[in-house]
Amino acid sequence: MKYTMRLAAGLLFAATLTAQVTSERLLNAAQEPGNWLTYSGTYQSQRYSTLDQITRENASKLKLSWVFQASSLQKFEATPLVVDGVMYLTQAPNDVVALDAKTGRKFWTYNHQLPETINVCCGAVNRGLAILGDQLFMGTVDGYLLALDATTGAVNWKTKVVEYKNGYSLTVAPLIVKGKVIVGTAGGEYGIRGFLDAYDAQTGEQAWRFYTIPGPGEPGHETWEGDSWMTGGGSAWVTGSYDPELNLVYWGIGNPAPDWNGDVRMGDNLYTDSAVALDADTGKLKWHFQFTPHDEWDWDSVQVPVLVDREFQGRMRKVILWGNRNGHFYVLDRATGEYLLGKAFVHQTWNDGLDEKGRPKTRQAAAPSIEGTKVYPGVQGGTNWYSPSYSPQTGLFYLSVWEYASTYHKNDPIYAEGHRFLGSLPRRVEGDPGYGAIRALDPETGEMEWEFRMVEVTNSGLLSTSTGVLFSGSNEGHFLALDARNGQEIWRTNLGGRAYASPITYTVDGEQQISIAAGNALFTFVLGE
Amino acid sequence: MKAFRIAMVLFLAAFPAWAQHEEVVNPRQSPEDVAVGGRIFRSHCAVCHGLGGVGDRAPNLTTGQFRHATSDSALHEVVSRGIPGTEMPGVYFNGAEVWQVVAYVRSLSGAATDEKITGDVAAGQKVYASKSCARCHRVNSEGGRSGPDLSRIGGSRSQAHLRAAVVNPNEKVLPNQWRFSGATKDGTIVSGRLLNEDTYTVQMFDARLGLMSLAKADMASYEVLKESAMPSYEGSIAGKDLDDLTAYLASLR
Repeated sequence: MKYTMRLAAGLLFAATLTAQVTSERLLNAAQEPGNWLTYSGTYQSQRYSTLDQITRENASKLKLSWVFQASSLQKFEATPLVVDGVMYLTQAPNDVVALDAKTGRKFWTYNHQLPETINVCCGAVNRGLAILGDQLFMGTVDGYLLALDATTGAVNWKTKVVEYKNGYSLTVAPLIVKGKVIVGTAGGEYGIRGFLDAYDAQTGEQAWRFYTIPGPGEPGHETWEGDSWMTGGGSAWVTGSYDPELNLVYWGIGNPAPDWNGDVRMGDNLYTDSAVALDADTGKLKWHFQFTPHDEWDWDSVQVPVLVDREFQGRMRKVILWGNRNGHFYVLDRATGEYLLGKAFVHQTWNDGLDEKGRPKTRQAAAPSIEGTKVYPGVQGGTNWYSPSYSPQTGLFYLSVWEYASTYHKNDPIYAEGHRFLGSLPRRVEGDPGYGAIRALDPETGEMEWEFRMVEVTNSGLLSTSTGVLFSGSNEGHFLALDARNGQEIWRTNLGGRAYASPITYTVDGEQQISIAAGNALFTFVLGE
Repeated sequence: MKAFRIAMVLFLAAFPAWAQHEEVVNPRQSPEDVAVGGRIFRSHCAVCHGLGGVGDRAPNLTTGQFRHATSDSALHEVVSRGIPGTEMPGVYFNGAEVWQVVAYVRSLSGAATDEKITGDVAAGQKVYASKSCARCHRVNSEGGRSGPDLSRIGGSRSQAHLRAAVVNPNEKVLPNQWRFSGATKDGTIVSGRLLNEDTYTVQMFDARLGLMSLAKADMASYEVLKESAMPSYEGSIAGKDLDDLTAYLASLR
């Protein structure tokens, strides 16, 4: 009897394995919460699930189901995809693994060999995959975009996006929009000229490129003194979002280079530290909003743009919610880029407020110096690249924050192609490590509704559910379930490693599961009795 | 072939510095490079090595002798990668900027230094014993465990720093010397060195109770003290005694 049942389930499974992930499924990903089809769950990037088996009332009964141990000691920054019972994830730097999401057992591994000398500032990492049809897409640290057969792991095509020897790398999880694969480059610490690229998912041919730093003759070019635009940074290493009605792709752009000496790149340095809205078909800029003009603190604006349709100040609006690394929370109109709200969500000492257009009144005294200038927030920012979450149920925006300062130094940068181009390096304030927290903000006002404070800072992203639970990992190694209404802890377990990614939830055979990477492993939980 | 390999291994073992660092001339030695290196030093090195490299929490760099490096290449390696097992971190600059730091550090050799040993090591060891320093400190496996182990302290601290630490131990307390003090709900008093902490628990060393792991939920009260458990010896160790004790501590390498 048992054997028959397992066989039947196996046959069912084999049938679903071949199901295609169509563009329609990606557009309607929220309608199939049993799968996790894109980096941020849906094109709106809310990391909000309507699965309802795990609730505030029973989350304390979560128990470990299986563990996937990566054969890699790099940081595990990848968000997995789950498609009809199969989990696809990357094992840093650039292996792709397909697992049975029920048991954690492997179907196949694709191994991508990197050259010995690669240029990455912060670990040879990868944040995940995209899927369309029966193909998986991955950017590699050595500058390639790969399309793999989702059933076998075989390489269908491989396109060279950029030369890694010049300081570029791909660590971002691609975003599929209308049959194109969109990726942005990393390398903001190497004097690159950043870009976003789109490739045809079938052929691997380039469809368009958007340079994050305008060239001669283009609007915004005048915000770079002299030739500084050629080495001005502007990476794009975290996945963006998409609004199909407006046909706009939204992406966060990284820091200007050199990071901590702005004297050699006078001007606002567009479009570094900006949100950009691009036409999905052409890659043409529709609008931009710069959070930190002429940044001298390395506050990349690579946060995931969270798209929300909600009432704001008395009328329904299509907005973007953005918790920025510069320590401020923003609400922007996503059709026009209009600034609607900005408010600090951590202690900050670098500006005297934002003007009516959202531009910071930057303090001269906050600039880096040879001996060092202590500024809040620190170099990792009030938040960073880890995914926030928005719950339509509570109406709250959740984000991971660091309350701390850095001492920002300034030295004389030397540019050499493919080498670090920094202009010094900030330091921690010895004896004042600060602390981490998960905070809930009211998007209407930017006011904090509650916080869950931790001793250590946190690099983990968040996941909220319609059943009122907020999940997160931590630097301390804990996996947490909080009450999304008030931040009260419901349950926790110690996974013994730092979480550098976000939890996801999905179903296998009708049962809700939740997975989170911590340390060098991925842990999967289900409800116990 | 095998014999050759063995010979090579022996050869490399005999000349580790030669094997690891191909000798190259510092390409960044102009006066301008030295000046730029000096500014980097002020930003990133002076906090431990002192302004002008005279030494403080980290060794004096003006003597022309470096314990972990003799050649410029080796210095480049030390500045780039740090020294494993010590507090010396590597810097995150590109190679050219590291060469500028090396040029600046070389320029310090022979500069005025206050590192002359004036005390007597043997007499200092007697001061160490008479003031019961070993009640908390450990030297070569002898002594207490609640204070820092001093077995190699002379290799990493300047004499001025050591002298100041005796007279005013609270001047600068590193996070790994922070203290934890509190009482559990069942009345146990704990006090000692804070080893680790997260949102829910604390791991600490109490000289009386040993290694302790405490749940914060079980504590009636507690605090983390960013101060030293060591009393000030200002006045009680002074003059020649202080010179001798400093000389003894500086000899521990």
